[in-house]
Amino acid sequence: MNKTCGAGSKPAAASQAALLLTCLFSLTTALAAEDARQIVAESQRRGRADSQRYEGSLGVISANNKVSKKHWQSDRLGSYGNSKALIRFTEPAEVKGVALLVVNHPERSSDQWMWTPAIGRDRRIAQQDRSTRFFGTDFSFEDLEERDVGQFDYSLQGEEAIDGAPCWRIESKPKEGKSSQYTSSRVWIRKDNYVPVQYENYVKDKLVRRLAEKDIQNIQGIWTARQLEMTDLGRKSRTILKLENVRYNVPMKDADFTVQALRRQM
Amino acid sequence: MTRRVLGPGFWALAFAAGALGQSFTERGFLETDFIGYPQTAPNDSGQAIGEALFRYEAFYKLDSDWQFAGGIDARADTHEQVDRAWELSWDDRESRRPSFEVRQLNATYSKKKLTLVLGKQFIRWGKADILNPTDRFAPQDYLSVVDSDFLAISAARATYGGQSNTIDLVWAPLFTPSRIPLLDQRWSNLPSGIALTELPPSFPGGSQFGARWNHIGSVAEYSLSFYDGHNNLPLFNFQEPQPLTVDVERYYPQMRMYGGDAAIPLKGVTVKAEAAYFTSATKTEDEYALYVVQVERQAGEWFFIGGYAGQVVTEHRSVFDFAPDRGLTSAFLGRAGCTIDTNRSVALETAVRQNGKGEWAKLEYSQAFGAHWRATAAFTLIRGDESDFLGQYRRNSHTMLALRYSF
Repeated sequence: MNKTCGAGSKPAAASQAALLLTCLFSLTTALAAEDARQIVAESQRRGRADSQRYEGSLGVISANNKVSKKHWQSDRLGSYGNSKALIRFTEPAEVKGVALLVVNHPERSSDQWMWTPAIGRDRRIAQQDRSTRFFGTDFSFEDLEERDVGQFDYSLQGEEAIDGAPCWRIESKPKEGKSSQYTSSRVWIRKDNYVPVQYENYVKDKLVRRLAEKDIQNIQGIWTARQLEMTDLGRKSRTILKLENVRYNVPMKDADFTVQALRRQM
Repeated sequence: MTRRVLGPGFWALAFAAGALGQSFTERGFLETDFIGYPQTAPNDSGQAIGEALFRYEAFYKLDSDWQFAGGIDARADTHEQVDRAWELSWDDRESRRPSFEVRQLNATYSKKKLTLVLGKQFIRWGKADILNPTDRFAPQDYLSVVDSDFLAISAARATYGGQSNTIDLVWAPLFTPSRIPLLDQRWSNLPSGIALTELPPSFPGGSQFGARWNHIGSVAEYSLSFYDGHNNLPLFNFQEPQPLTVDVERYYPQMRMYGGDAAIPLKGVTVKAEAAYFTSATKTEDEYALYVVQVERQAGEWFFIGGYAGQVVTEHRSVFDFAPDRGLTSAFLGRAGCTIDTNRSVALETAVRQNGKGEWAKLEYSQAFGAHWRATAAFTLIRGDESDFLGQYRRNSHTMLALRYSF
């Protein structure tokens, strides 16, 4: 960029102006991108913890307003990039014990395995299957992986208030080599506490899923959304996930986040 | 055959742990099935069967290192496939399904990269979906051949490794056979008019041993496995002490297996392959290789699995056997399913022999009602030639209605 801005010894006035504008635009875009990335990085930094445990209460509301209830327990070891998460259903009775292991990687998409006790088998969730809904909820398998800041390009698109709170609106696009069902996403991050409060996920230019994060509380020094509402705009259904008994920095073992551990029943 | 009364320790553990709250989980169900056969069979005129199964499983985590699991099945039926004696079975060696059975009872110790499981447990090897040649520690209940269910085994299992590489060692001191069709019922497919007497089976002594190395990579998973023990599927000795009277004796041939499996996610599909080569010191057992290649794909609410299972016999020695694993080879296998909504799903499974002499297809619809109830309706169609493994059951097409209450 410096080389481009400094190029040309005696350009004409018009060319000089055009070059200056181009330089300014590039510089502004780069700074905006840098700002957007820094905002996302800061947001992730503030949410960091050695571990997190919560009990999730899910209500899946279909297009015709039928509600089905599910519960799971979620354990997460580590934070963005190298974290591992284990989600195990506790209700309803017929899916009790079904579990998902997510092993996140900073440089590539996560690895995921699902354990189904009824058949006694674990199954690796292939990349091309990540857009599938996770066990009847409106979360896809990909939605359950963490988005490491290094795997996306960001651009600051403006500012907008969500529920009265001023937010940055940032667009992210997966970097080349990062596999994603989404062409792009938009995230709204609150300016006061850097908490993401809304995501919109697009396939090409079509909005397919919206995630709203609500009931934000400070738990052990970490601002935490206690309610997540995922809407599948194609199916016109939504899933409300309420986080209960949220605890951070609970002692957890790395060995409890392996495929072998997934097969254990609890 | 080992039968014993369920020890008070099991229940004491369950209820004591229950009082401790979060470290204890339990689950189970009560299911009643109605099975209807449109056709009679030469040796079985029954066309309607009622079954009931109560299953209870409990899991207790003592601390971060120790965990215990226990489960029990209680059964009843109208067709004497279930033993009428009210006794508890541990080793699953009965011809009929036991009325009470320890489904599993084991202790798990895990420390760093080591996991030890001792007791009656389920062990599953392999990656394919419809047929698993390397799944040697997984005997099945084949009383109704095409609707099989896995049986647990008594074993010690040690798994060492992290996420990428694991070594799995299994030692089973007590042999658990697969349960085969009853001689006087339709799935044995025997002619009428012959007095068949089942002699006490000859169960092998000694232990079974297996080892498996599994690698999980960023682009593929694969494993190598070895088994030394006995086939859980039997061969038969027939004796004819007098005309139209046949004595049948089951025996279980020695088996050594060298196997491998792999799962490779590609851009559009996941390719899975599994193969095993079997040798035997038993003079009447074949030596052969089984292999499966399949592709699978999830598309929206649909999943599709399609593949081919094959067999190569390197030395043919057996005369009378019961081998549903080999009976499903030289066949195209498929499974498809759709989750209609959060409560309803439909699935289709099929196997078609490549020579066209045997076909099996099962269509199943399932619907949940509320948080506890689920109803399932299934229709199984079997067609083919009498000489084919699948085709021999052509009179056994059936419908099944099941109602389950889970808790």
